[in-house]
Amino acid sequence: MMKKPIIEVKDVCVKYSENTILENITFDVYEGEILVIVGGSGCGKSVLLKQITGLEMPTSGDVKIHGENLTNANDEIKRKIQKKFGILFQSSGLFASMTLAENIALLLESFTDLTEDEISDIIDIKLSAVGLDGYRNYLPSEISGGMKKRAALARALALDPDILFFDEPSSGLDPVTAASLDNLIKNLNESLGMTMVVVSHDLASIGNIAHRVILLDKEAKGIIATGTAEEMKRNRENEKVYNFFNRIAN
Amino acid sequence: MLISNKHLSLIKDEILSSKSQRAGTYFNISFSEREIVLTFAEPITLDNSEYYGIDALIKLINDKIEILTCDFSNIKHYDSYLILLINNLKELSKSKRLAINLIGVTPKMAKFIELFGKEQSAEINNIISTGFWENYFSHIGQLTLTGLTDVKLFIEFLGEIISKFFSLFIHPGKMRWKEFPFHLTKSGVNAVPIVFLIVFLIGMISGYQGAMQLRQVGADIYIADLIGISITRELAPLMTAILVAGRSGSAFAAELGTMKVSDEIDALKSMGFDHIHFLILPRIIAVMFAMPFLVMLANFAGILGGMLAALSTLELTMVGYLNEMQTALSFGDVFSGLIKSIVFGFLVSSIGCFRGLQVHGGAESVGKYTTAAVVTGVLTIIVADAIFTLIFQSLGI
Ligand SMILES: Nc1ncnc2c1ncn2[C@@H]1O[C@H](COP(=O)(O)OP(=O)(O)OP(=O)(O)O)[C@@H](O)[C@H]1O
Ligand SMILES: [Mg+2]
Repeated sequence: MMKKPIIEVKDVCVKYSENTILENITFDVYEGEILVIVGGSGCGKSVLLKQITGLEMPTSGDVKIHGENLTNANDEIKRKIQKKFGILFQSSGLFASMTLAENIALLLESFTDLTEDEISDIIDIKLSAVGLDGYRNYLPSEISGGMKKRAALARALALDPDILFFDEPSSGLDPVTAASLDNLIKNLNESLGMTMVVVSHDLASIGNIAHRVILLDKEAKGIIATGTAEEMKRNRENEKVYNFFNRIAN
Repeated sequence: MLISNKHLSLIKDEILSSKSQRAGTYFNISFSEREIVLTFAEPITLDNSEYYGIDALIKLINDKIEILTCDFSNIKHYDSYLILLINNLKELSKSKRLAINLIGVTPKMAKFIELFGKEQSAEINNIISTGFWENYFSHIGQLTLTGLTDVKLFIEFLGEIISKFFSLFIHPGKMRWKEFPFHLTKSGVNAVPIVFLIVFLIGMISGYQGAMQLRQVGADIYIADLIGISITRELAPLMTAILVAGRSGSAFAAELGTMKVSDEIDALKSMGFDHIHFLILPRIIAVMFAMPFLVMLANFAGILGGMLAALSTLELTMVGYLNEMQTALSFGDVFSGLIKSIVFGFLVSSIGCFRGLQVHGGAESVGKYTTAAVVTGVLTIIVADAIFTLIFQSLGI
């Protein structure tokens, strides 16, 4: 069934000047899967996400999306690949000088031939999907942190991407809002078959949404375990894995 | 007794006198042949911190002494100062090869010591132990390296901007023209009053200074030559560029830096937009476009300021001044100033954008690079001006 890799990450290494952050990262993401990347603070999750989405070039290694190599693609091809996915950044990344509607409209105006009325309708649909009806004309600075996350999700959904990347969607959200975001992620995945790559610390949310989990470790500079959330929780062989998923301090 | 009673009382006096200047806690010393016992008194807190006489204590320690015992059984109030104290005592005991012995530590206190009392002293020692000169030279080396890397990165950035700029001739729609009038207003129109005022005053000041000198040799009329040429060739373009560096260069760095910190630039790139076309070019083109107009205005302001100064101090009429100005000024004077201003505008705005994109980490980095944008901007303008002077001279303009 869902065994077709849509993202292939192979031997990715990342170095900032002499400082190695990640080494030999290899994994696949399959179509229609929700893959959660977890790991301690500062282990390189956001950095890894930047490599996968082509925002930064890995020092070595390859990233393929839909079979197309992103790492050595020229700008043109890169843009074409990037248009197929949406990203929710750790600090939302909404354009501060534009209203929520303009944030979403920017993509639709630039990459579709829709009329103004159609665009306006789509904005309403996306905003209400994330529970932000009536906030079209607010600036990002006029809404709360949790609302910003949801608005950014609405923007990420603007072009109906087939892959969504999330960097810590539930951080800074209250449990109820976080749970509703989880539901939204699950619904999008189930109804549209969107592939999701989620960076998260939130164990409750991981148990809720993850099909598969990858654990990164700062010392190992790479993946130290892969499996379902349940498997990780019962992993008695590797103390680090067990501690992480059972919330035990080292 | 290893130490004579007289010696001991001297040392005790020393400890007590150092303490008497600051009210606070103290400790009692008692010692036997092999052991020094310090009994601390309440409280050991930061706001009540006290010189504990550790330096004086060192004098008490000799080869025979093996144990340093610290008694905390009287202590009920303590905070981080306790950690500081224990770290100091530990270091002391290490350097003197003493066994340190803490007694009267309640379980609560032990937990506190464990929580905060991690050994960081090794690292701190390392930092302190590198000599001043070593630090000094390695600092200079590091600054040079960063400077050179910045230059290299800036040249790469310029290359990218220029190639993207020329690609506009093929695909003009790539740039976000919507932003252009906005930046033109902000960097150009809004700069008019300050540019006018500053260059007007500069013209007036150099008018006064020049008039003083020219009057002595009776060459009053040449004030027009002096003002006209210095303003149009040098002062107007230079002052305008410096003002624009302060207004727009810094603003660009701060705006782009903030966008970088809040992931906006990454978001833009990930949506398939080119941040150079989208954010940088509208700003740079707006400044380059505005600069010659600002400089023309500045020329007018400077000549006007110089005229007011000249008329009020010299035997000169307005018509005489303006007539002389017309004969003195050549097309090349004004033209070279305008050409310079476009290049200055390009440099200032691209440095502002470059510094903004260098921001990484958090908000404090935005401030740092905003400052850098102005400093580098002004420096680069002056260097470029010197180069221009050489070029124009050799071309005879
Ligand atoms: N541009 C950069 N230059 C140099 N070092 C960087 C850069 N970006 C990230 N790092 C370093 O890479 C490491 C990993 O950072 P990253 O942001 O990926 O952490 P993270 O796993 O996302 O942590 P968190 O959960 O706190 O968001 C950090 O030590 C950071 O200092
Ligand atoms: Mg992160």
